[in-house]
Amino acid sequence: MATTSVTNNEQYNYDIIRKFTIMTLVWGAVGMLVGVYIASELAFPWLNFDIPYITFGRLRPVHTGAVIFGFGGSALFATSYYVVQRTCQARLFGGNLANFTFWGWQAVIVFAALGDVLGHTQGREYAEMEWPIDLLIEVVWVAYLVIFVGTLMKRKEPHIYVANWFYLAFILATALLHTFNNLAVPVSLFSMKSYSLFSGAQDAMTQWWYGHNAVGFFLTAAFLGMMYYFVPKQAGRPVYSYRLSVLHFWALIFLYMWAGAHHLHWTAIPDWTSTLAATFSIVLLLPSWGGMVNGILTLSGAWDKMRTDPIMRFLIVSLSFYGMSTFEGPMMSLKDVNALSHYTDWTVGHVHSGALGWVAMVSFGSLYHLIPKLWNTTTYSNRLINVHFWLATIGILLYITAMWISGIMQGLMWRAFDDFGNLQYAFIESVAAAHNLYVMRAVGGLFFLSGMVIMCFNMYKTIRSGNTQQAA
Amino acid sequence: MMSQDTKKPAVKTTGHSWDGIEELSNPLPMWWVWGFYITCAFAFVYWLLYPAWPIGHMYTKGVPGLNTLTYTATSVDGKETQKTTHWNMRSKFMVEMNEHKAAQKQWFDKVASMPFAEVSKDADLMQFVNSAGKTLFSDNCAPCHQAGGQGKIKFSPNLTDDHWQYGGTYEDIHTTLVGGRRGAMPSFKAVLSGEEIVQAANYVLSLSGEPHDAGAAKAGDALFHGKAGCYACHGPDAKGMTAIGSANLTDKIWLWADVQGAKTPEAKLDEVKYVLINGANNGVMPAWGARLKPEQIKLLTVYVHDSLGGGK
Repeated sequence: MATTSVTNNEQYNYDIIRKFTIMTLVWGAVGMLVGVYIASELAFPWLNFDIPYITFGRLRPVHTGAVIFGFGGSALFATSYYVVQRTCQARLFGGNLANFTFWGWQAVIVFAALGDVLGHTQGREYAEMEWPIDLLIEVVWVAYLVIFVGTLMKRKEPHIYVANWFYLAFILATALLHTFNNLAVPVSLFSMKSYSLFSGAQDAMTQWWYGHNAVGFFLTAAFLGMMYYFVPKQAGRPVYSYRLSVLHFWALIFLYMWAGAHHLHWTAIPDWTSTLAATFSIVLLLPSWGGMVNGILTLSGAWDKMRTDPIMRFLIVSLSFYGMSTFEGPMMSLKDVNALSHYTDWTVGHVHSGALGWVAMVSFGSLYHLIPKLWNTTTYSNRLINVHFWLATIGILLYITAMWISGIMQGLMWRAFDDFGNLQYAFIESVAAAHNLYVMRAVGGLFFLSGMVIMCFNMYKTIRSGNTQQAA
Repeated sequence: MMSQDTKKPAVKTTGHSWDGIEELSNPLPMWWVWGFYITCAFAFVYWLLYPAWPIGHMYTKGVPGLNTLTYTATSVDGKETQKTTHWNMRSKFMVEMNEHKAAQKQWFDKVASMPFAEVSKDADLMQFVNSAGKTLFSDNCAPCHQAGGQGKIKFSPNLTDDHWQYGGTYEDIHTTLVGGRRGAMPSFKAVLSGEEIVQAANYVLSLSGEPHDAGAAKAGDALFHGKAGCYACHGPDAKGMTAIGSANLTDKIWLWADVQGAKTPEAKLDEVKYVLINGANNGVMPAWGARLKPEQIKLLTVYVHDSLGGGK
């Protein structure tokens, strides 16, 4: 594969972006493949083959780690390094430190997956990595912050572009979340096992303060940063409203941190935390939508691009899914709705309408824009981008429809009483009833994965046709 | 770089450009602003209804009287008191559970007060038994005995046939449920030689008309009733004893040796030999006396006896 021949006197450091871009594609394919496999395990449990290493419980964090931190994380490193350089007109700060963030981050993903498969886990959702990996993340992340802030300080533009506010908020918040959620005491210096500093309901609250804001800052704010560069760039239109971008940025940053406890409704947490989480989630709705409004209205005057430009299609549809899941989320955070939705597949569907519909789609669109530029070439096949778009869209729709139906069905079955006051269904009946929907979900995942594989092929051909000489 | 769209000249940009990207100075969309105000108002109303803001070690409990819950609390000594509180999760749970408990109570009381046979004859009551029994069985018993109670070979007895290892009367089933059961067929590895085990196994197969070596079975007969002492548990007629849960070897129902599932005579022999060599003492039916309420166990007894297989 064509990689480096970059010299340090070039205007921008594209080498590091190319590396992260390639790994985004690799982790996307790997993570989604594991996702399809575990979805199939839920539909057909014999796929466990009685091998502990590949059971759902161990592969599930491999899936979430590979898609969130591998695919999503690499996409964020790549685009943030690209956007911050281009919009500051400054070469990336810190020289080889950027290479350290690359190798360090890739090591984190590999070690995390190995740890999951071998059974080393903190048992904290999206933070399964045990303490040695957590320390590595900490170091890599601080380096990332230094590089990003250093580049901002070197900027030749008088103002900092809005995309960079979002990226910076994401880097700062993630550092904070990662640190406090992973405060733990190792059993010994040579043991992978550690115990959390918190216990009981406080531990759960810490975990979901992290979990929810990982969604808020890693999967929302950061990808809004991506959106704020690639949508206007691809559309060739100015951002719709500066004022809206300022307002919804600060509202989002302020409100998100309050909402985590809605993941713990109807558990042993204090009632008042539950209420505050629900109401701040509701108030979060419009600030979340601010990004969608600003992105979609940026296209006004250029709507024809939705017909002609498959990259634009990815970007705008991603914003639509973003709008949909940020409406669904606050609804699910209301106590009464949550009483139905909690612990059901509805939650799984919700998270995937955000993860597939928003995070993955906006990344696909951005990468299709980015890759030809990084390798000074044109896309190998626009038709394949279009095929990818449809495979991905159909896949998402199958996935979330299956999960809506099975989730609501589970919620209704679990709470159904007959006239005698007896539970109407045994738990196992709700499992059996979900079988066909689990098959449908796996098929949806397969559609989405096929699109990802086509993208890898298309981009491989694109990269092969390019070179790494930087245009002035 | 930017589009040459000049249809809307009224809106100016902020005057900055980053890598060719500009920003318009459009005002906030009014629907967005009002939407935000409405969600704020919604949140404010929610705070009036539910516990919301912490103040020191206390918290606001909503406007007094606006969103209260009343339920009957039962203390450890069985004393019932009416309680009215501000809305909270625990009380909400109590309200809903009490509602269903109240509906169940008259039926459970009846089950508790009537003899098994009487319950069985009361058609209305049996509707309740089947409704409650299905869920109780599925959530507690089915993990081992499988959905519907058909059992799993080499693991758990089938409850839908007429064979009851520890007896199939109401009283027997009730005793099994309350106290649990533990299988205790010993290993004969140290007692019998390899050849003798083959002989004993052939005899056991002959008892239920399975293919066997007649000569070896004859020698096995002598072992069964003599040196090996099998008759002590399985009885001289090999029909088992419900008092100790020893298996009836003359029917075609097997639990620890998958004779029915084995395809060839050799495989059938191996199945029986395995049990003779290793024993069958890992079967444990847990005791439910401390885990379910007496009236639930009684109801399950009737459910297993009447609705699943029919006891003997």
